Amino acid sequence: MAASAPIIVTEPDPARSAGARDAVHRHRRSARAGGPGWAVLRYVYSAAIFLAALFPLAWMAISGFKARNEVVSSPFQFFPDVWQPQNYVDIASDPQFLRAVGVSFGGALLFAALSLAVNSMAAYAFARLEFAFKRTIWVVVLMTMFIPGMAILLTSYIVVTRMGLLNTLAVLVVPGAAAAVHIFFIRQFYLGIPTSIEEAALIDGADRWRIFTAIFLPMSKPVFVVVGITSFLAFWNAYVWPIMTITEPDSALTQIQQYLATFRSERRIEYGLLLAGSTLAATPVIVLFLIFQRYIISGIRISGIK
Amino acid sequence: MTTIQAQAPPAKGRARRRPKPAHRDNRIAFLMLAPALVLLGIFVLWPLVYAWYVSFFNWSFYTESVFVGLRNFRLVLADPVFWASIGRGLRFSVIVVPAILILAFVFANLVKAMGQRMGTLLKVSIYIPTVISGVIASIVFVLIYEYRQGLLNWLIGLVGFENQPWLGSASTALLALTAPAIWLGLGLASLIMLAGLLDIPESYYESAELDGANWWQRTVFITVPLMRNIGLYLLVTCFVATIQQYELPLIMTSGGPVQSTLLPNLHIFLRFTNDDTVGYSIAAALLLFVVLGGLSAVIFRVINSEKAVDA
Repeated sequence: MAASAPIIVTEPDPARSAGARDAVHRHRRSARAGGPGWAVLRYVYSAAIFLAALFPLAWMAISGFKARNEVVSSPFQFFPDVWQPQNYVDIASDPQFLRAVGVSFGGALLFAALSLAVNSMAAYAFARLEFAFKRTIWVVVLMTMFIPGMAILLTSYIVVTRMGLLNTLAVLVVPGAAAAVHIFFIRQFYLGIPTSIEEAALIDGADRWRIFTAIFLPMSKPVFVVVGITSFLAFWNAYVWPIMTITEPDSALTQIQQYLATFRSERRIEYGLLLAGSTLAATPVIVLFLIFQRYIISGIRISGIK
Repeated sequence: MTTIQAQAPPAKGRARRRPKPAHRDNRIAFLMLAPALVLLGIFVLWPLVYAWYVSFFNWSFYTESVFVGLRNFRLVLADPVFWASIGRGLRFSVIVVPAILILAFVFANLVKAMGQRMGTLLKVSIYIPTVISGVIASIVFVLIYEYRQGLLNWLIGLVGFENQPWLGSASTALLALTAPAIWLGLGLASLIMLAGLLDIPESYYESAELDGANWWQRTVFITVPLMRNIGLYLLVTCFVATIQQYELPLIMTSGGPVQSTLLPNLHIFLRFTNDDTVGYSIAAALLLFVVLGGLSAVIFRVINSEKAVDA
């Protein structure tokens, strides 16, 4: 075994810039065995993966254009008889749907901001500062990464109930904001920043806080994008915690996943509307991912731990 | 892979310009740590400690709690439904985890062999399902499995099979749930696998090729051994994530029909929401925690030995 292959790398490998990667790929292609047969097979496989990944979503979006009772009409048909945007128009003008989208979107932004603030400060302290019990605290923080969700979900629910937080915005935004995974990830990035940069500032008498805000934060964009989007998605996609903690029927804090699940159980036959709503709910996260996919995919290179 | 050491290795002896007090940054450090530590304390550590405490009591929201010692754990361990759910979780994982690992491995090799543009397109498309919520995946797959007008029954009807009640029959429901689980989990595993694959120096393959090794031999003798650590890591993390899956069966089948999709965490979750006392569900969750938390901590140590804790 060569050097053990750790999952964690401290910073994106500059050798993997687009140009370099292109060269590597060209080189690899030439180093590949096989004639045209292999190439065809590769494209068949690629097409299969592409279809398998995207087909369910495409079908969801297309079915949204069917008439309300046509989605489960017998016999099955893939495309609508008549393409009609009615479902999308109807669901997008449903005040409850809009409110749920608003709560999810606003909450996700708030959650991402909070998560970035809390975790980046902690990451900086662990990466750069000397303080009492540093190692012990670090180990404790790391250990929280290995606690399976269910072990604390139930008692967290009891804790927030006792704190009187049920049916508040705080119960959605605060409990998950600090996460060892994110602290770890940002710290890895900060460890990769050369100390020489801040030494000059220290000599000039800048204090640690100023160094953090003026030097580290501006450099943090790549990690912040990954952590921010991960947090945003976690909030946007959350289902179990919201149904436990937002218990009032038709609460103003109902979020989009809750809304869709409730819709599904209560209005079973209106599949067209449901699929249109699901499509609209999936669109922002897909768009967000597509915009920042470079960062996110290189973020996975940096840390295989989610 | 490379690890860039941020701090220069500590100089031996007193080579530093002036000796620094060990904890010079105490004040600012604890100010910056406070929010994270307080939140982790209240919402992670305390619930865990509290769970251990509650599991020894007959605790409920409405009555005085009574100390019952190990009774809750005994109840769980003597409960056939609990063991059945564990067995079900294992069966579920035995399908989902290998499927994800094999597909991810194939995928990684495929992307590596493709040109850059095609590779990026594949990477992006395989990751898209990862950002989709369990609720939306459930909605779509329930419709795919519909008995009378579902896509799947229409497809198998084309080749002459009868309609199957995929989610309505105890013999197929768990199998049906593996598809959305694989679909949601494949993206991340694939990209991690790809990262590992791209870290194998190309020169290994070149020299093997010079020695006349064909693609299959190169895979078996170079790729697989060098990917062992990543594979192990993915095996454990995928397993831990899969056996904890409960959102999909909660939404798609509520654990039915006749408990055939009652995975361990769903069993715990439903007991928690239905029981008056929470001792049973919390004790069951802790038993799983000991096993799964231990498993993932061990693997993390093996793979990242001494890397994470170099503060």
